[in-house]
Amino acid sequence: MEIKSTNRDDFRFIYEQNYHLIMQVTMHIVYNLGIAEDLTQEAFERFYVKNMTFPSEEEAKYWLLKVAKNLALNHINRNKRDIQLVEKVKKMPGKTVNNEDGQKQVIDEESRREVREAIAQLPENLRIVIQLKEFSGLDYKAIGKTLGISETNVKVRVHRARKKLEELLNTEDRDVY
Amino acid sequence: MCIDSQMLSAYLDGELKEPYRTQVIEHLEHCAACRKHLDDIRALSNRVRNTAFTEEELGRKKDAMLEMLDKKYFQNNKISFFRRRFEMSLPQMVTAAAAVVVIFVCGFMFFGSNPAQTDDILPSFAVPADSQNVRLVSSKSGSLDDYTLEEILQYLDAKGYQVDISIKGLQPIETPAQTE
Ligand SMILES: [Zn+2]
Repeated sequence: MEIKSTNRDDFRFIYEQNYHLIMQVTMHIVYNLGIAEDLTQEAFERFYVKNMTFPSEEEAKYWLLKVAKNLALNHINRNKRDIQLVEKVKKMPGKTVNNEDGQKQVIDEESRREVREAIAQLPENLRIVIQLKEFSGLDYKAIGKTLGISETNVKVRVHRARKKLEELLNTEDRDVY
Repeated sequence: MCIDSQMLSAYLDGELKEPYRTQVIEHLEHCAACRKHLDDIRALSNRVRNTAFTEEELGRKKDAMLEMLDKKYFQNNKISFFRRRFEMSLPQMVTAAAAVVVIFVCGFMFFGSNPAQTDDILPSFAVPADSQNVRLVSSKSGSLDDYTLEEILQYLDAKGYQVDISIKGLQPIETPAQTE
């Protein structure tokens, strides 16, 4: 289906379909809900203002992802000196637990934080690729299109990111003993 | 020979092409070490996925933001000439997949008052109506919606241009069924 970014119905359709994805991706770059929301809003505004026609909803999605990712990376690089990414993850408030199974939820949250810290330590080119792979539901080809790299390159980076994460997480485990 | 981890990683993602995929499957059937390796990669992948933020966490502003954007971009009180015309006067064109508004501007002030003649001497230029071109004719920044047709005509008239406006509906070569 062709998508015209200034058409109201098309805009709403694309917004509904991609809001969470764009939030997810920006959130994993900036680790701050308010900033992720600002960046997501800016991405959708640019989408409208650009006044473009996309041959399919997928193409619109890749465009949005690319813009949102770049906005988030710009934001991070601009504020690099303020605070390190890893520190940011550490300072993020844990999710409030109002489950009857509260104990397990707390452990999950700890493990989650640990993995997020490991992801934050990855070099940027690996971090974005593994995040798109695990959070966006996009395949290698689509990730390549979003990032402007080849499918093979995506494959290599996904693997390197996993290997690096394995090392980081295992090292942290060893520290416990 | 065992399978290298990059291949296993791609296999896990369902991205391994034939004949490698079949080879991997066959190897996994009789190699416990590679099965363990694959399980480790899968476990790691799941741990990473588990760090995804929930829709509940991410969605607190979703509706409010859409409403704000809708107000900002789609509920403009000053309905532009183009939108008005398209909605009210040319209903059949609204359903056409594409429509183009063309403004012809001729510089008759330099070449006498016969527009036909002017056309021969001076190439008239056709501009599709979008925000880019309003800046072009009015030399002011802003989008098309900032100006009524009357304002555009007055501006051009003041500059001594003769203006001819035509609206065309373009029928695409093949019309895909529009999903409502
Ligand atoms: Zn093996």
